[in-house]
Parts: sequence; structure tokens; C-alpha cells
Amino acid sequence: MKKIEAIIQPFKLDEVKETLTNIGVDGMTIGEVRGHGRQKGHKEVYRGREYTVDLLPKVKIEMVVSDARCEEIVKALTAAARTGKIGDGKVFVYDVLEAVRIRNDDRGDAAL
Amino acid sequence: MVERAAADRLWPAFPSGMALLAVGGYGRRHLFPYSDVDLLLLVENHRLVESAGGAVSGFLQSLWDAGLRLSHSVRTPEECAEVHDSNVELNVSLLDQRYLAGDRALYGRFAEKLPRFLRAQREALTRNLTQLTRERHLKYQNTYYHLEPNIKDTPGGLRDYQLVRWLARIRRVDAPEMEPAFLFLARLRCYLHSLSGRDNNALTFDAQEQAAAYFAASGTAVWMRDYFRHAREVYRAAVRELESSEAQNSSLFAQFKDWRTRLSNSDFTVSRERVHLREPHALEAGPELALRLFEFVARHGIRPSPETGQRLAAALPRLQEWFAEPRPVWPALREILSLPYAAEAVRGMYDTGLLRATFPEMAQIECLVIRDFYHRYTVDEHTLVTLQVLCDLRRNREPAARRFSELFSEMEEPALLLCALLFHDVGKGASDNGHVEASWRVAEPALERIQMPRRERDLVEFLIRRHLEMSAVMTSRDLHDPATARDMAQRVETLERLKALTLITYADISAVNPSAMTPWRAEALWQLYLLTYNELTRELETDRIQNFPADTPEKQAFLAGFPMRYARTHTADQIDAHLRLDEIRRQRGVAVALDKVEAAWRLTFVTVDRQFLFASVAGTLSSFGMNILKAEAFANSQGTVLDTFTFADPTRTLELNPTELDRLRATVERVVLGRLDVRQLLRNRPKSAPPSRESHVRPAVSFNPDVSDSATLIEIVAQDRPGLLYGLASAISSQGCNIEVVLIDTEAHKAIDVFYVTAGGRKLDEGQTEKLGEALRRACGG
Repeated sequence: MKKIEAIIQPFKLDEVKETLTNIGVDGMTIGEVRGHGRQKGHKEVYRGREYTVDLLPKVKIEMVVSDARCEEIVKALTAAARTGKIGDGKVFVYDVLEAVRIRNDDRGDAAL
Repeated sequence: MVERAAADRLWPAFPSGMALLAVGGYGRRHLFPYSDVDLLLLVENHRLVESAGGAVSGFLQSLWDAGLRLSHSVRTPEECAEVHDSNVELNVSLLDQRYLAGDRALYGRFAEKLPRFLRAQREALTRNLTQLTRERHLKYQNTYYHLEPNIKDTPGGLRDYQLVRWLARIRRVDAPEMEPAFLFLARLRCYLHSLSGRDNNALTFDAQEQAAAYFAASGTAVWMRDYFRHAREVYRAAVRELESSEAQNSSLFAQFKDWRTRLSNSDFTVSRERVHLREPHALEAGPELALRLFEFVARHGIRPSPETGQRLAAALPRLQEWFAEPRPVWPALREILSLPYAAEAVRGMYDTGLLRATFPEMAQIECLVIRDFYHRYTVDEHTLVTLQVLCDLRRNREPAARRFSELFSEMEEPALLLCALLFHDVGKGASDNGHVEASWRVAEPALERIQMPRRERDLVEFLIRRHLEMSAVMTSRDLHDPATARDMAQRVETLERLKALTLITYADISAVNPSAMTPWRAEALWQLYLLTYNELTRELETDRIQNFPADTPEKQAFLAGFPMRYARTHTADQIDAHLRLDEIRRQRGVAVALDKVEAAWRLTFVTVDRQFLFASVAGTLSSFGMNILKAEAFANSQGTVLDTFTFADPTRTLELNPTELDRLRATVERVVLGRLDVRQLLRNRPKSAPPSRESHVRPAVSFNPDVSDSATLIEIVAQDRPGLLYGLASAISSQGCNIEVVLIDTEAHKAIDVFYVTAGGRKLDEGQTEKLGEALRRACGG
């Protein structure tokens, strides 16, 4: 099993969610986060003061999927989230040791 | 059953010296299917029980076996007569006691003592009860509205109903009539108990659906609205009782804020932190008194006394009649909404029914439920919370909210924002989808009825009809795509509207539920505001009027080349007035107009552009001792310059000496035409007061060459002082640069000046930027 963690632009959330649902990804966790990448945000000038905006609002999507489907899902997610501009975000993939469905104790792939 | 068990087990062991009493719910004869049966075993003394303990436990056992949930205690009459701070439950349960069986003589002695005990311990009992209740209310955030209420403990539930009766009993007054509410709650509790087979009082979402079906309501939301109406009635009664009891209990008011009584005036007295009417009957005769009452509340933050509330309630039919007629109510309402405690005042108006008397439209959203996990409040409560959020911004010192606090403090007309918020969701009661237009449809006639002027109504209309737009853009558009900022800028059109809409959005989101305004959302909202602000300021320079629809070719020619902002921020009448100035200018070379605008003055002049023009006039005003608050300078494609200075006259020279007005006008003309050197004027000007030592602003000069294609944007923030603008503008002109557009604003001691500057018709190069930067910083330093 693999955990896919994606940090994306907030305005891309609806499109990404729809794409994931369409390819049959049922469960995901979504959080509002703030951060930045290599460009460390940017500078804004307001009322004569320079603000460095380095904690940009982003959205984090997490899901655990089977090994077999991982690559396909990562590709679909990335395509849906891409605008081609700086700030698009990143996807990380982790190994998962175990998954348990709390309601009935299903384990492994059956719990996904 | 109890009596039989007692007869079997108890009385044989205790022929005398013990009596059985029903207390609590049992005593009240309000027993729900699975509630506890509260018993009190009254004994002469505890030794009796110790010697024959088996009988007591046998008695209890038999009842347990029979399936009763018992809660019992064993006390002597003396013990009952003590006030137990740690066991208020006992004292309170005694209030509902009644005789069941056993030693009548013993009971008689006890019953005799009881009234005396109640009288003597009234204070302590009340204190305990009110304290417990306040704690419980606080646990539930002092609101009866909860998504899944506990119908026993949540404010407005059965405990509150009991509280009202107990407090009334202790004070020996009649409890208010709440039969329908009690029946509703009691039936509901019976249903819940039988549904879950135990003493379960939690009205979960599932339970709500089932109960609504069981009680044959036309829908869960409709049935819940009924629930909340009843809960509100019970809660309000409970709060009134709490206040009346606390007021009588002088130990609670040990910290008498007596100094507040000095706020009393001819209409109202202040006593014990509450507002009382001097002439209670005056309400019927003079309905304006009701508005003045809440102006008082809004000003001082002191609430009306329960009696005042009752008087108001009695006068409501008359008041409603009065408000139904079109009347100039807006000035009084605007006053209320501008004062520090406006939110508390509006809530008071709502609770007493005055708001609904003024605006019957509000009835549509009373207790209206939005059934989802996100919305924490009924629509009416949400509206009141939005007002509170804005008013709290004034007092908020937290860094997270500070940017929005500053924005709010810059609003010239906060009352209009609050008014827009008051009506922004009123359309939710009208239709299931799309409440935005519905809200304006409901609000428009209301605002006409109170005779709000057209100009102010326009802003309120804008805010109501657009109140969802910023939050939509925030989450669904790429904030750093220039198209997003451009789109938003086009929708709001002016900086003032942008600020107002930002604040409305801030309040609306914050009031969805206590944690809705996360730092994440605040940041996203601020980003959108920032980008739109910069876009609007940028547009000053680049978006020029080309083909403005105008009645005459002269007007078209006049307008062509001015920034779009000029057309957006001036009314048709003002543009006509400027056109007339331009005609005068053609003949005389210059036209100067000087008007009084509310508390300040406005100087407008039209002439042909030349070097040092702006600086010279700024200097002229300084030499007369005037304090420049705002300034704008525009040039059209014919090279005609239109400059406006808004300034304050601290020594009221112009007001007190009409000849000074003429002298100022004449001087400005001469300076503009080049017949008088402003430096001479400044040499002779009166000494200005030394800058105050408080709040020193660090000067900041920043250049932005990317914002416009043809000019360099310079933003200057500095300590405001007389002659600052002259210094800055002179520095720019003396470096050989030309001022294309100017925007001046002041914020307390801070001057915020934006210049669009060119040199030789183009943006400044590096060398020019450096030299000008130095010169400007020198000018700021004073």
C-alpha cells in the first residue's frame, strides 16, 4: 500500500477531487495548510511597506491506495493539479505498513 | 409501588422516626420513562438507620429489582435545613419535596422548618443556583442554538425550565407561563427515552429526523425551528430570572459600579449596571424614545433592565404601527450603528422585539435553521454575530486580526457596513437557493421606508448583492493570475468599496462558526484584498478614459485622458462642475473653487500643467496653516490639470474670517499663474507646533517601476506634518520629474502618499530613481 500526499493550489481542489472520484479513489483527507517552495513566496508592497508573503495558503490531499494503482493515481492527480506556473505544488509517495478499517477490522487492501 | 415496598420492608423496622419523601422530578410529578426516581429518607437521627441498616438496603434492593432507577439519600431534618455549598442538588431537590409515607409527625416538624429555611437561606440558595446555571450556560457558549442539543442541559432545555420555577419559588413570585414550551420539551423527552431505552436526552441528527417524523412535522428543519422557538422562550425566561435574582442578591453586586450612574440623562437612569426609563409611559407617546434607548446602549454598553424590556414589549404594537409608516428613521439608526457598542445594541433590539417592530422583514429569518455541519448558528443569530465580529475589530489587539482592524478604522461610514450585514442573509427565509438577490429584494423597501438617502443605499445595495463574491474568488481562482485581480477590481471599482466588501466578507466568514476564520482563510482573504488594492492603484495610471459617453463634445474632450478612476469616483454633477471650471480656465488661465465639505474644506483648481504646480499649491495651503488630508491630481490628454485638495483648518480661520476665504482663493490663483512665489509665502508663514512625541512613524519610500508601462510608482509613508506634501512634491519637481497622478491619504499621524512620476515622458531610470529617493527621504525627515 502507498500513501499519496499532494500539496496543491487551493483553486485546483475541486478539479482534483472530481478527477480522483472519476477514477475510483474513494477515500481522501483534505486539509488547509500554508507554506512555500523554492521561490519562498514573493514580495508585496502595500502602503509603503514591503511584505514578504512566504506562508501561502495551499491545500493538502492525502490518500492511501493499493500498490498496483499508485502510479496511475499519481499521474491523474498531477495532471489535474497542473497549471504550468510556479506554485503548482508537489506530490510525495510513502510506503504504508498497515491499514485497518475501524468499523469491522478489515486489514490491508480490503481496508482501503 | 414505592409505598408497597416501604410497607413491606421499612415500616416494620422503623415504626417511627422515619418518613419517605419524594424529591426532585418525582416530587414534581414529572417523571420521564427513564429518569431517576429521587427519594429522601427522612430520619430522626442516623443511629436509627445504623442499627437497622439491613431494612433500608432491603427496601432499596426490592425497588431496584423491580426496575426502578433509584437515587436516594438519608438525612435528618436538621441536615436538610443546612445549606450545602457542595451539594446544591440536595437543597434544590428539596424545593420539590412531597410526603409519600411514614412518620407523619416527623414530616410535620420538617415541613414546618422548611419555609423558614428557604427564607433565611434565600440568598445562598439563589447564589448557588445562579452560579451553577451560569457555569452550565457558559459550557454551552450562552446560546440555545446547538446543532445537536441536549434537551435537558442545553440552554433553553428542561433544566432551564426548572430553574425558572425554582427561582420564582424562592423569590415568591409567580413563574412566567411557559406551558406550550414545557409540553413540547416534555413530550420530546418521553419520545427520546423510549427511542433509546434509557435516560438519553441528546437530540442527535438522527433523533431529530425520527422525532420530526413521529410528531408529524412537515420536515425536520421546520420541526427544529419549532424546537428552537420554544428553547429560545425558555432560555430568555431563564436569563431574565437569573438577572432578577442576581440583582436582588446584593452580595453579587459587591462591586457596585456606582460611578456609572453619572451617565444618567433626562430620558434614562443607570442603576446597577442597567438602563431604566425615567418615564416608562413615554414610550407609547414618543416612539423615538425606543431608538434613543438603544443609542444609549450603543454608546455606553449598558443593557436595558428587565423592567425596561417589559415596558418595551408592552409598547411593541404601537411601535410597530409607527414604524410601518415611511419615516426618517435612518439618522437615528445610523447613529446607533456608528457607536462602539452597536452590536450589543442591535442584539438588545432583537431580544426585546424592537428590531422586528422596526423591520418586520426580520421575521423571515427568526430561528431559521441551516442544517449542515458547517453552520453553527441560526440565521438570525449568525446575523447578530457578524455585527459583533465587526464591532469587536475595534477592540481587537490580536496580530491575526490587526490588518482587518486597521481597515475597519479607515471606513468613513461603518454604519453602512453594519446595515448591510443586518440584511445580508434576510433572503434565506424566502427561497431555498440563491438568497443574495432575495436579500436585496427584501431590504430595498425597508431602507426606503426608513428614508436612507440614495447614495448610501447604493453602497448597501452593492454590499448585499456582492457579499459572497470575495469568498468565492478566494477559494476558486488563482490569486496570482493578474486576471483575477483585474476581474475583482472591475467588480468593486473603487478602493472604498473594496475595503467595505473585504470587511463584510471577513465578518460573514467569521460568523459561520467560532473556528471558521482560520489563519488560512484570513490569509487568503487578505491576499485577495492586497492584489485587488494594488490593481486598483495601478489602474490609476494606465487605464485612461478614451471614449466616455458624454452629452457634449466639450465634455468628451475634457474627460479624454483622465484616469478611469476619475470617472468612477465623481458623480455626474461633480463632473459638470469641473467642466464649468474648465470653461473659466479657458478665459482666465486658471479656475479655483473652494467649498466646505462636512468638517473639512475642498480646493479644486483647473489649469494648464507646468512644473512645480502641485507643490506650489500644497505649499500655499501650508502657508495658510492648513492641514492637507487628501489630494488628487489628474491630467487629461489636452494637458489640462485637475487637482483637488481636501484639507482641515485647525484654527478655523476660514470659518471665522470670510475675507480669509477670498484671500486664499486669490493667492492660489496668483501662485498657479506664476505671479507669486510660494517660497516667499512659506518664509512668512506662522510657526507650526512642534511634532508631538507620541507615535513616531518611520518614513518609508519605495519605488515600483513594474506597475505601469509609462510611469514609476512611488509610495511614501511618513510622519504627517505641515508642509510635508510641499516638501515631497518640490523634491520630485526639483529633480526634473513630472507628477502624473497623485493620491494622498492620512491615517492619524501617518501620511500615505502615492505618486506616479515620469521624467522626460518616460519611467525613471536607475540613476534618477536613486537621486530622487534620496531627495524624498530628506524631505520626509523634516
